[in-house]
Amino acid sequence: MKNEITYIGEHLWAGQLGNAFLVLSFVASFVALVAYYLSKKNFEYLKLARTAFYTHSLSVFGIAATLFYMLFNHFYEYQYVWQHSNNSMPMRYIFSCFWEGQEGSFLLWTFWNVILGLFLRRSLNNEWEASVMTIFSLVQVFLASMLLGVYIGDYKIGLNPFLLLREHPDYYNLPFVQSYIQNTNYLAKVDGKGLNPLLMNYWMTIHPPTLFLGFASTLPPFAFALVGLWKRKYTQWQGMALPWTFFSIMILGIGILMGGAWAYEALSFGGFWAWDPVENSSLVPWLLIVGAGHVMIINKNKAGSLFTTHLLAIGSFLLVLYSTFLTRSGILGNASVHAFTDLGMQGQLVLYVLTFVLLCVAFLLDNSLLRVSYVMTSVLMVFFTSIYGYQKFAFYIWITGSIVLTFYAYNKYFPKENDEEELFSREFWIFLGSLMLLLSSLIITYFTSIPVLNKLFDINKAPLKVEDYNLWIAPFAILIAILMACAQFLKYKHSDKKQFFSKLKYSGIAALLFGGICSVPLYFMKDFSEASSLQKWNLISYALLLISASFSVFSNIDYMLRMLKGKISKAGASIAHIGFALILIGVLISTSKKVTLSKSAVIKKAENVNKELDSQKNILLTQGDTLPMGPYLVTYIGKERVGIDVYFKVNYFTLDKDNKPILAFQLQPKIQDNPRMGQAADPDTKHYLNRDIYTHITAADLNTEVNTKNKDAFNSPKNYIGHISDTIYASNAIIRIDSLRTNMNEQQYAKNDSLLEVTAVLKAMNENGEVFWAYPKYIIRKNMIEPSVYEIKELGLKFSFWKINPQDGSVEITMSEKVKNSKDFIVMEAIMFPYINVLWLGCLTMAFGTGIAIIERLRKLKISNSKNAS
Amino acid sequence: MKKIHIVGIIVIAVAIGVIFTSLRSSATYSDFTEALANPDTEYHVVGKLDKNQPQVYEPKINPDEFTFTMIDNKGVEKKVVLHKSKPQDFERSEQIVLIGKMQGDEFHANDILMKCPSKYNDGKPQI
Repeated sequence: MKNEITYIGEHLWAGQLGNAFLVLSFVASFVALVAYYLSKKNFEYLKLARTAFYTHSLSVFGIAATLFYMLFNHFYEYQYVWQHSNNSMPMRYIFSCFWEGQEGSFLLWTFWNVILGLFLRRSLNNEWEASVMTIFSLVQVFLASMLLGVYIGDYKIGLNPFLLLREHPDYYNLPFVQSYIQNTNYLAKVDGKGLNPLLMNYWMTIHPPTLFLGFASTLPPFAFALVGLWKRKYTQWQGMALPWTFFSIMILGIGILMGGAWAYEALSFGGFWAWDPVENSSLVPWLLIVGAGHVMIINKNKAGSLFTTHLLAIGSFLLVLYSTFLTRSGILGNASVHAFTDLGMQGQLVLYVLTFVLLCVAFLLDNSLLRVSYVMTSVLMVFFTSIYGYQKFAFYIWITGSIVLTFYAYNKYFPKENDEEELFSREFWIFLGSLMLLLSSLIITYFTSIPVLNKLFDINKAPLKVEDYNLWIAPFAILIAILMACAQFLKYKHSDKKQFFSKLKYSGIAALLFGGICSVPLYFMKDFSEASSLQKWNLISYALLLISASFSVFSNIDYMLRMLKGKISKAGASIAHIGFALILIGVLISTSKKVTLSKSAVIKKAENVNKELDSQKNILLTQGDTLPMGPYLVTYIGKERVGIDVYFKVNYFTLDKDNKPILAFQLQPKIQDNPRMGQAADPDTKHYLNRDIYTHITAADLNTEVNTKNKDAFNSPKNYIGHISDTIYASNAIIRIDSLRTNMNEQQYAKNDSLLEVTAVLKAMNENGEVFWAYPKYIIRKNMIEPSVYEIKELGLKFSFWKINPQDGSVEITMSEKVKNSKDFIVMEAIMFPYINVLWLGCLTMAFGTGIAIIERLRKLKISNSKNAS
Repeated sequence: MKKIHIVGIIVIAVAIGVIFTSLRSSATYSDFTEALANPDTEYHVVGKLDKNQPQVYEPKINPDEFTFTMIDNKGVEKKVVLHKSKPQDFERSEQIVLIGKMQGDEFHANDILMKCPSKYNDGKPQI
């Protein structure tokens, strides 16, 4: 199909350069894999391996640089550039274009892996470098292949970011591409499609790189843990992996919370967390890596939880892979609000995830016969299922087999402790905490995977609702908060029970007092007695969480002051725990006590609204009118269009002592009239220290053109079809078709020249409840219709009754309104989130504490390294 | 018996609890016919908007009520009362998932998910 036409202005060299880097990065990572593997036995290969890894790193930088260059210079002959950027886009969003597409985000992930790999390599001695970097290179081989975009037979591997638009399989056949191809100078006319305007904000610039660095940062602990299994050195790696694990906790944590902040600030979910599959699948790896970090600390003092450590460190990375599968394979379909597309990589992603699961189980087996037969059986199963089908059946068998083998390996190969852990020992409580994290991540993963389970087992379960997630996770949050409060006060091996309780006494009492006193007005004043039994349980769990989280804050402050004597460098853990406890408190109060302000203002007009489904959330504001809403009076002032954004100005007033309204603040929630994505509401929030007022527009007219028509003119009439007692809605009144009257009897009808006259009696009620009547007439004289128009002058409404449909007895009436009748209005939702700043404060505190812990661990690692050397 | 075993038993108990309750209680994807047969059960009904039938959203009467007609995947057509404001870009939706119950001959939904045309496939150039 290759034609020899040269097109004017194409920069074919850029794509060729990019593709050269792609191939080089793939080949080099493969060479690095083999060479690092060989250097495990013979250090002479290390030199080759390092060179290969450097080459791989340079080519990854090369790919990124080429893609940037193409985006910067608008090379629209390339599909990726055309798809994600355009001429009118501000240059500061060029980074966002880079990672908007799947290809770019895979590249970003690879890029961070390379950076981490370069640092990791330097920190290791030859022996560890050889094996850890083998695993690292293997991951890089897989990731590099995701960008290749080559075909093996009919099967495409990866998505190539350097495809020409006119050669791209998805676009080749589109008419406009075809019409361009006829013209060798087509580039003079093409502009890109541009970045999705919804993503043109600073969050899109900072959130993806942070989150992907977080995902990448789960790789070093995974590589270490896998090497630990491979070399049967279950403990040695943990000291080295600890700073990396803490780093991962910090960055992934920040990345996830940034996503929450983005959702809260710029998207209209009405909150910061919606238990969406995308959010869940980044939260779960974080929970696991937090668990891993904690059991590693235990193992430094007493190697008792080796299997759990490996399980958590490996699980975290595997779940990152699994989340890639969930979010990029299109399997979530109806389950998520995020836009997902299947780019034809489902099979490949499944294969990658399963390969790494296979690898982990294989490394677990310390018996070469067993290991080889497991791997061979798996490979044969893939082979046969690809020929004969029965994929699901084979998968059930394989996954069951793998789980059985994992348990077998745990029993057979892992060193067991002989002595039992004491109940009052730090290691037991930290272990329990990690177990809680593991359990909650299993539950979240299970619920998030419902679309996958549907496919696997041919069932049809709907995804879980937010309340169900909250219900399940609350008990774990309570237990984790209590463990965070207590564990540091326990000593390793054995602690004195009395001392332990007496140390915790004050913070415990303080928490009971504080939490107890706060939760009475929060949860038990009026809500409780009216609540159903499920809601009662919820309220109790909120109170318990408040008490236990504040216990955690108090006891960690206490520990920092009394035990550590305020020494900051040692207090990383305490500060991070305070941060996490504050996050729990912030999430709890802002979510459980959020008030939909716009609800209270609504006067219920529809009487037969079902009680159970009655979810009044929105308020209607007519331009110029002032309505009470919660503690405020609100007025919709007007709207203004800036580019594709329409801003709606809403003033908030409070009453002063003399009951005079004073302007408190103005919010300008906007609707983006997005040519690519349609309309999207963008909230606006007033931040106070102790609460946020969050608003977004749910319905409005986006037309901002000033109406120049005469205000007393009538708009063009609209037709309504209805029966008696049906309703017609005008801007300023509700009109009911009250009755139909025939004015003449049959004799009159016969006499009067076949005259038929029917009057529609219309009852119109305005906003103040005043009633007006209208009597438009339907007249047929000599088979001709003579409509008569009736005007209600007070309301500025004109009616004409012009048709009766004898089949179903319906009538048709047109109504026209005066231009001035229809005032502009908006429908808005306003929510107050109390104490949401506690959440953000907690985030910062946790990141700060984790940062201190990383520095402290690095210092300790250096000391132990220099000890080993001397 | 070691403490770790007790912990293990608790873990297994929780796991069984989670699976059991979720299988029993969580709603399933379904169609109008099944929802009609069990008016007290909540269903997720998947379907398409019938663009020929009227859509009524009168915020002056009730900003939280929007009625339209949906055809489910089996071709059954029902009037839907959504107890929310009219979603933005409702007309553009290719597929709708409604969450709610049948009441009489109307489906009362308290939530809606819409699938809009994918941003990856609208291959119109801007010239």
